[in-house]
Amino acid sequence: MVVKVKQWRLGVPRALFYYYYAPWWEAFFKALGAEVVVSPPTTREIMDLGISLAVAEACLPVKVFYGHAAWLAPRVEALFVPRLVSVEKKSFICPKLMGLPDMLRAAIKDCPLVIDATVDLSRRPEEGLRAAIRDTARAIGARGRQVERAGEIARARYWDWLARQQEQGREFSPGKKEGITPGGRPPLAVGLLGHNYLLHDHYLGMDIAGKVTRLGGRVILPENFAPELGEASCRRLPKRLYWTLGRKIMGAALHLMEQEEVAGLIHLTAFGCGPDSLVGDLAERYAHRRGKPFLLLTLDEHTGEAGVETRLEAFIDMLARRCPA
Amino acid sequence: MTSIYLGIDVGSVSTNIIALDTDGNLIASVYLRTRGQPIPAIQEGLREIRATLGQEVTVAGVGTTGSGRGLAAVMTGADVVKNEITAHAVAASKVVPGVQTVLEIGGQDSKIIILRQGVVTDFAMNTVCAAGTGSFLDQQAARLGIPIEDFGRLALEARNPVRIAGRCAVFAESDMIHKQQQGHPLEDIVAGLCEAMVRNYLNNVGKGKEILPPVVFQGGVAANAGMRRAFSRALGTEVIVPEHYGVMGAYGAALLAREAGPKTSAFRGFELTERDFRTGGFECRGCANHCEVVELREENEVLARWGDRCGKWSNAVAV
Repeated sequence: MVVKVKQWRLGVPRALFYYYYAPWWEAFFKALGAEVVVSPPTTREIMDLGISLAVAEACLPVKVFYGHAAWLAPRVEALFVPRLVSVEKKSFICPKLMGLPDMLRAAIKDCPLVIDATVDLSRRPEEGLRAAIRDTARAIGARGRQVERAGEIARARYWDWLARQQEQGREFSPGKKEGITPGGRPPLAVGLLGHNYLLHDHYLGMDIAGKVTRLGGRVILPENFAPELGEASCRRLPKRLYWTLGRKIMGAALHLMEQEEVAGLIHLTAFGCGPDSLVGDLAERYAHRRGKPFLLLTLDEHTGEAGVETRLEAFIDMLARRCPA
Repeated sequence: MTSIYLGIDVGSVSTNIIALDTDGNLIASVYLRTRGQPIPAIQEGLREIRATLGQEVTVAGVGTTGSGRGLAAVMTGADVVKNEITAHAVAASKVVPGVQTVLEIGGQDSKIIILRQGVVTDFAMNTVCAAGTGSFLDQQAARLGIPIEDFGRLALEARNPVRIAGRCAVFAESDMIHKQQQGHPLEDIVAGLCEAMVRNYLNNVGKGKEILPPVVFQGGVAANAGMRRAFSRALGTEVIVPEHYGVMGAYGAALLAREAGPKTSAFRGFELTERDFRTGGFECRGCANHCEVVELREENEVLARWGDRCGKWSNAVAV
C-alpha cells in the first residue's frame, strides 16, 4: 500500500541539540519532503519567554529551549524534540535533557504535536540509531526505502559538516602570520570550552568568541580538532566520564592544555548545569597542575555583560603579560 | 609647569582620582562616594585634585579603570582604559615589589590576584553575590549604630569572637541578631563578623588559589583593622596594607598611563569639570533584543553610546 506522505511543517527549536545535530535533522526532514522551520537566533524576548515558562530549577539553556519551542508552537504543525537518552555506547545525556518533551508538553499552552522519538545508543548503537530514525519518520508518516535514503543523506551531510569545522581549525594553524594584532604580536591562542549550545548561541553565550577575538585572541573551539584527540586525553583520567557532553568538554580541555601554543583556557558554563559543575572543577584542577591559565565564566539569567567583559579583559591581559611576544 | 599623570577609578561605591608626578610618585589623591552618579563624582574629583595641586599643571596622560572606566574615558579623554585586575596588580607591584598575592575588597566586589615574578598568573572575582564586601560591612555598622570608621577598632577589642555564618549576607545578619539577643558583647560580634567575612572570602574568591607572601591587602575595606587582623590570622602571615590602600586602582591606572607614555595626552582639560554632561537611556526597538542603550552627551553633542549588542548605536558616534 502506498501512503501519500503529508507535507509537514516541522518546528525545530534553535537551542540545545540543534547546535550538535542541526545539519543531520534538517537534511533528514527535507529528504522526506517536510518543511523545516527553525526558530530565529535567541533574543531577549525568546529568553524571557522561556524563563517565564520553564521550571525554576532548569539550567538556563533549557529555559532558552522552552522559549524557542514556545516561539515555534503557534507557527508549526509539530515540534521535533527527540528524547536523547544516549548518543553513544555506555554514555548518557543529562537527565534534564532526556525529559524535555514531557516538560514542554506540560509547560506550553496549545502545544502542537511533539515528535519525541527516543534516541538510545547506549547498548547497541547501530540498532538504537535505526530505531530512532524509524520512529521519527513514522511520526510524520514516512516509512520504508525512502526513510533509509533520507537517513543516508542526513548522515553524509552531518559528517561533511563535522569535517568542515575541523578544517576551520587547521586554517588557523599556529605558524600562520595572519591576523597580527595592532600591538604587533600574533594573536594569543585561547581555547574556548563549553557546550555548543552556549558557545554558538551569541545571545545566551554572550558571544565570548567574538569578545576574545576583539581583545586580540585567536579562539580554538572544541570542534576545531578531531574528537579522537579529546577522547584519547580522557582515557588517561582515573575514571571514565559517562556524560557524553561532559566528556567532550573534558577531552577538549585536556587536549588543549597539552598544546604548547595554547596560552590559556576559558570555560563557559551555565548556572544550574550539574555535569558542568563537576567537569569544570576537574578541568580547572588539571589546568592548574599543568600551569595553564584557566578562566571559568558562569552564565545565568542575571549575568551582566560588564562583569564578563572585565574578566575577559583581565584574562587576556594576563596571558599577554605572561607570554611576551 | 609640572607634568602629571592622572588615574581615575570609577567604582560602584567610590570614585577615586590620583595624580602622579613624572617619576611615578603619588602627589595628590581624592576619594569620593560615587552615589550612583559617576559624572558629578568625576567632575568633583578633578576639581579637588586641581585645588590640591594648587598650581598649573600639564596632564601628560590619563588612565581610567573600574566599572565606570568606559564612561570616565570618554568624558575625560583617557589614554589608557584598563580593567581593575590589571590596575590593582600594577599598583601593588609598584608599592611592594615581589608581591605574590593581592587581596582587594571594595564596595561591591572583591578579588584576589596571584602574581609570580611580577606577572599576574591567576585571579578571581566574586560572583553575583556581594556578601563579604564593603557594602555589607557598611550596612551592618549602620544597623549596629557604629560609625564605620570605629568598626575595626572595636573588633580589635574582642576577647572571644563569636562564630557567624558568613556565606550569605542575609543569614549573617540573622545570625548576628541572634548573637546579640543572647547577650554577646558587641565587640565579639563585630570581630566575629570580620572573621566570617574573611572565611567567606577565602572559601569563595580565594578557592584553590595558592596564597603566598608577601600578601597585600587593599581596597576600601583594608581600612578596617578588624579585617586586617582576621586576614593575617587566617593566613598565618603578615598582611601588608599599602599607604594608599583606598585608591590603588586609580594609582594603577595612572601608572599604566605613565608606562604607555603618550606623546600628547588625549585629556580634554580641567575645564571639563565646568561643562554640562548628561547621560540618557533608551530602549532600542530595532530587534527583539530591546537593548538598553545609554548615551553620554556634552551640551547637545553625543560623545558616546553603549549597551547595544549589535553596534548600531555605539558605532554611529564618530569619536
